[in-house]
Parts: sequence; structure tokens; C-alpha cells
Amino acid sequence: MAHVILDSVRKTYPNGYKAVHGADFNISDGEFIVLVGPSGCGKSTLLRMIAGLEDVTDGEIIIGDTVVNDVDPARRDIAMVFQNYALYPHMTVRQNMAYGLKNQRMSKDAIAERITEAAKTLRLEEFLERKPGQLSGGQRQRVAMGRAIVRNPKVFLFDEPLSNLDAKLRTQLRAELKALHKRLSGTFVYVTHDQVEAMSLADRIIIMSAGQVEQIGTPMDLYLQPASRFVADFIGSPSMNMLQGTIGADGHTVDMGNESTLRFAAPIDAQPGTKVDVGIRPEHLQATSSSAAQFGLTVDFIEQLGADTVVHGKLTGQTDPLTLRLTGVHSIATGESFSLHSALENIHLFDSATGKRLN
Amino acid sequence: MADIQTNSAASTVRRPRSKPIRWGLIGNHAILITGSLFMLLPVLLAFFTSTHTDVTIHKEGVQFFFGSEGGSNYHDAMFKKGGFSQNVDGARMMVNSLILGLGFAVGKIIISMMAAYAIVYFRFRFGTFAFWIIFTTLLLPLEVRILPSYEVVQSLGMLNTYSGLIIPLIASATGTFFFRQFFRSVPEELLEAARIDGAGPFKFFVDILFPLSQTMIAAIFIIMFVFGWNQYLWPTLMTTDESMFTLVRGVKQIMQAWVGGGNDIPEYSGAMALAILAMAPPIAIVIFFQNWFVKGLTESDK
Repeated sequence: MAHVILDSVRKTYPNGYKAVHGADFNISDGEFIVLVGPSGCGKSTLLRMIAGLEDVTDGEIIIGDTVVNDVDPARRDIAMVFQNYALYPHMTVRQNMAYGLKNQRMSKDAIAERITEAAKTLRLEEFLERKPGQLSGGQRQRVAMGRAIVRNPKVFLFDEPLSNLDAKLRTQLRAELKALHKRLSGTFVYVTHDQVEAMSLADRIIIMSAGQVEQIGTPMDLYLQPASRFVADFIGSPSMNMLQGTIGADGHTVDMGNESTLRFAAPIDAQPGTKVDVGIRPEHLQATSSSAAQFGLTVDFIEQLGADTVVHGKLTGQTDPLTLRLTGVHSIATGESFSLHSALENIHLFDSATGKRLN
Repeated sequence: MADIQTNSAASTVRRPRSKPIRWGLIGNHAILITGSLFMLLPVLLAFFTSTHTDVTIHKEGVQFFFGSEGGSNYHDAMFKKGGFSQNVDGARMMVNSLILGLGFAVGKIIISMMAAYAIVYFRFRFGTFAFWIIFTTLLLPLEVRILPSYEVVQSLGMLNTYSGLIIPLIASATGTFFFRQFFRSVPEELLEAARIDGAGPFKFFVDILFPLSQTMIAAIFIIMFVFGWNQYLWPTLMTTDESMFTLVRGVKQIMQAWVGGGNDIPEYSGAMALAILAMAPPIAIVIFFQNWFVKGLTESDK
């Protein structure tokens, strides 16, 4: 097991496209790190650079105590699980798992022992002599994980391993992955575009956008204190409501336009008159009496999810969309209106121009 | 309640007793059967004719039924020494043809697979350009370059040798093209997984790519074997020694040379029998490999 350090790592493709603009972070030994972001944000490129499948344009990648920039993927002591499994279709499950070890010239007995152990961990014993084509998607992905486990690597790399599976299997394998991490206590680096996966798996999340690292933190850091409007919008489902506001003259208030004003205890870190985005999560809005109301909502339609009811509508008298999440079952008609209120500590302010957090 | 409803609904559904006769289907089959007969007929006639005596054929022409001489005609065609030198028989020519066909197919597969591997998996200067150069050689078939080719082989002293027969024709643009397309369809993650598993370029080729290409190899093997087996012009030019003759080339030679028992009747039956024998191995191979052939050209289990 080992830590991984990325020191101002950049990637520019030969055609001039800059995929990663400078990633700087440390992954400690045994940590479960999730790289998350929309497609094309550079997260996969970053992972592939750690794996050694892409050259590093600039900066250093350190695994354990070695700078691995010019080390062959096979010698980096890493294992990787791919989105489309990348199992060798003509080999049995056993041969698939053994291939890497055979290339390391490990003895047959030792290989067999490792495979037996991994197969037990992943409940693959009965499939060892089958070919990947005869397995379901979930089983294939478990084989791919098995191929990683038997190598006993310092670092496990996962490139969207659950994206090809259906929702139910995904949840199940997510739990298995989490258990696996606990058991192996290895360093895991996991790439996904699915924020639910990121939130449920990660010790720390690295959220990326357009080749930049937006924020690094625990899932709750990202949820409660998003560093930018991008992070706020990306984490959480349904995503955060963004309303328009202007900083008031005394630097403590935000003018919301339709006579309502939010007054914060601490001064806001921006010039009066600055346009701000006021972010409030749908689950942090509460229905209230009209006297305490900060916002009004006119209902367009609702989504009944059983455990929750998601109300979609517009800010009363305006066109800005507003979403409200209520626990339990509610029957709400289109056109109904709500008076809403949110605790000030659950309101996030972002500079409209830069997207940076202000409070 | 729900059950009763669905039952009553089902009982009102009309169920036709039998399928109507589909005339379109019958018409299609009629056309296909006629077409097959049309194509098979010459072969059948050659086969029937080959079972008669030379005299009968000479007098009555092509035969439409089995004759009595089948066994002895085929035996003579295979084992009776003939030709000017009286030292070549059908079996010898068949061996030559097999060597040419197999050498041709195996050699072409090896060369074109390696060429395609280099083009697809290695980033080198002018790689695509090299591919297109190879591809344009399709515009220069053997017939166009036959004199220079002959000159080269002759000056290397390879006339009347198997290597002289095979090697000059072994580079294959078609094979390279097929393998290139196939390799490009192999998911890149496989290569990456293999790299992480410590497989270098050679191991990846042997352990992963070669087994994956099996169906493709089978398909190209058939095409190339038949192509090699049916070569006529090149062997005619390359071989002057009768013991190096291939079947396809030998049929004509033998018909001219075998003059039976003092009279001047050409050995029609022997020639017909040899022609049938010359057709048999390619057909056998196609039948034997046809599953793989179709698989290789259409699907791929990756």
C-alpha cells in the first residue's frame, strides 16, 4: 500500500488540447479517493496518467517513494478496472486473473492460491472455468476486480467500473466495493461521473471541471460547503436551486428582487451591488407561514418518489425555476403556491461572474 | 376477477388454424434452386463424363450419366505416370498444389497480420501512408508485373522451386486490409489491460491478438488457399520441370501429352477426372471452415 502524490500534473494532447491544467493533490495510504466531474473534465485522463497509459506532459506523479512518470504501467504496482471490463474474451476467468501474474513469472502454486482467495472474496468460485462471454455484466466486472486483486497492487484504479451496469446491480456492487476497500485497506482511486457513487464511496472527493480541480474534500464538505457554483450544482440530486440576487449596501444583505431580503450575520466577502447566485438545496427549503417567507413557489408539476416528493415550480411572479423536496407522500396540485423559508446557514452565495463562494 | 376478465378476452381472439401457404417463399426457393442447378450443371457433367472411356467420349461427346470406368479412370488420373518425362502423376501434382495453396495461405496470413499489427498498434512516421502504399498494390496485380517478377525470381535461381512459387506472391494487400480493420475493432482497453498485466508488444500479439483473430484467420485462410490453389499463370511461368507442376496447370498439359494406347484419342476422361480432383480440396476446405468463414467476416466476439 502506498500514497500517491500528484505535483502540478498537466496533460496536453499532441493536437494542442489541454485535458488537465495542473492537478496538485496527495492521496494518503489506504484512502478511497473518487475523481468526479462531467464527461470531458479530465478525470479519466488523470487516472490514466496515474496508471501510465498516458504520458505526463508536465509535473510529477509519485507512487510510494518513486517518481513514476517514466515507469512502465506493469512496473508501477497498480491495477486497473475498466468501464467495459476489458477481460480477455478467449481466456477463462481463471486465465484472465492469472495472466498478469504469469507475466511476472510467479510460480503456478502461488498464482493458484491468489486466485482461490480472490475468487472467494468476490464469490466467483463457480465461474472460474467459464469464459467472460458466458457471464453477466455484474459477474464480468467482479472478474475484472478479481484480476486487480490478485496482483496485490499498491494502488487500485477504477475507471467508471459501474457505468455499464443497471441501477440495481450498481447499488449492490457499490456496497461490495466499499467492503472490499475495507478488507484490502488499499489505496483506491476511482473515477465516475455519477455523484451518488462519489458521495457513497469516497473518503475524499476530487471534483473536476474543464481540466481544473474545483474542490477536494470529504463528501460532506462538498455538500455543506461547496467551494464554487459548479460544485454546488454538481453535488446533490435534485440539484441546488440557484436564484439571482444583489449584495445590499451594508454588505450583510442580499436583495432578492421581489421585496424579500436575506440578512446574514457575518459580512459577505464582496462589494455592494455585486450580482450573486443564491444557492439553496431543495431539501433545505421548508414550507412556512407567509409572514416568515423568504420565497414563494408556484407549482408546475410534482414527482412522487415514495420516500420523497419533489415539487418543481417557479419563483412566484418570476420565471426562475425552483425545486422543493418534501419527505413523505404529499398530494399537491399544479398552480398551488408555497411560502418557503430556509435557515441562513443552508444558503450558499456565489459570485455570479466567477462562480466562487462568497460566504 | 382479473383472471376471469383476461380469460374471456383471450377467448374472443381469433386463432387461425393453419399457416397460409406462402407463395412468395416457394417462388424464392424455386429461383434459388434453379440458380444452383445452373451453376452445378457443368461440374456434374464433367463428373459424369469422367467416368466413361475415352472412346465413348470421343464418339458421343459429353455424358449425362455414370459410366462404368469411374474407378479405373480416377486411379489412372492419380497414379499413372504421364507427361513427356513420364515421371509425374496426379498425386504428385496434387501435393504440389497443396504445398502452393498452404504456403500461400499461411505465408500471406503471417505477413499481412504482422503488417497490420505494425500499422494499427505502433505510432510511427508515415504509418498511414505505408498502409495506403500497401493498399495501392491492389492496383498492380501479378499480371501487370509478371515480367519483372519473373526476371527477379529467375536471377535469384528460384525457378522450379517451391519458394520461387510462393514467396513472390506472398505480400497481400487484401489480407493486410482485413486484419487492419479487425484490429481496429478490438477495444483499446484490451491493449491497456494487457499493458498493465505486463504484456509487451510481442506477448500482446501472441497471447491476446492472435487468439482473438482466429475466425478472421480462418476466413482469410480459405480465401487465400483457394486463390493459391487456383493460380495458373504464375506456376505456368515458374515451373518447367514437370515434377513441379500443380494440378490446375497440369490438367491441360496432361490432356495434350497423354496419348492413349497407340491411337490419337486425347485422354478426355483423365483430364475430366483431374479437373474434378482439382476442384475437390478447395470445396472441402470451404465446407469444413464455412462456419468460421461466415463468423470471421461478419461478427466478432469481443
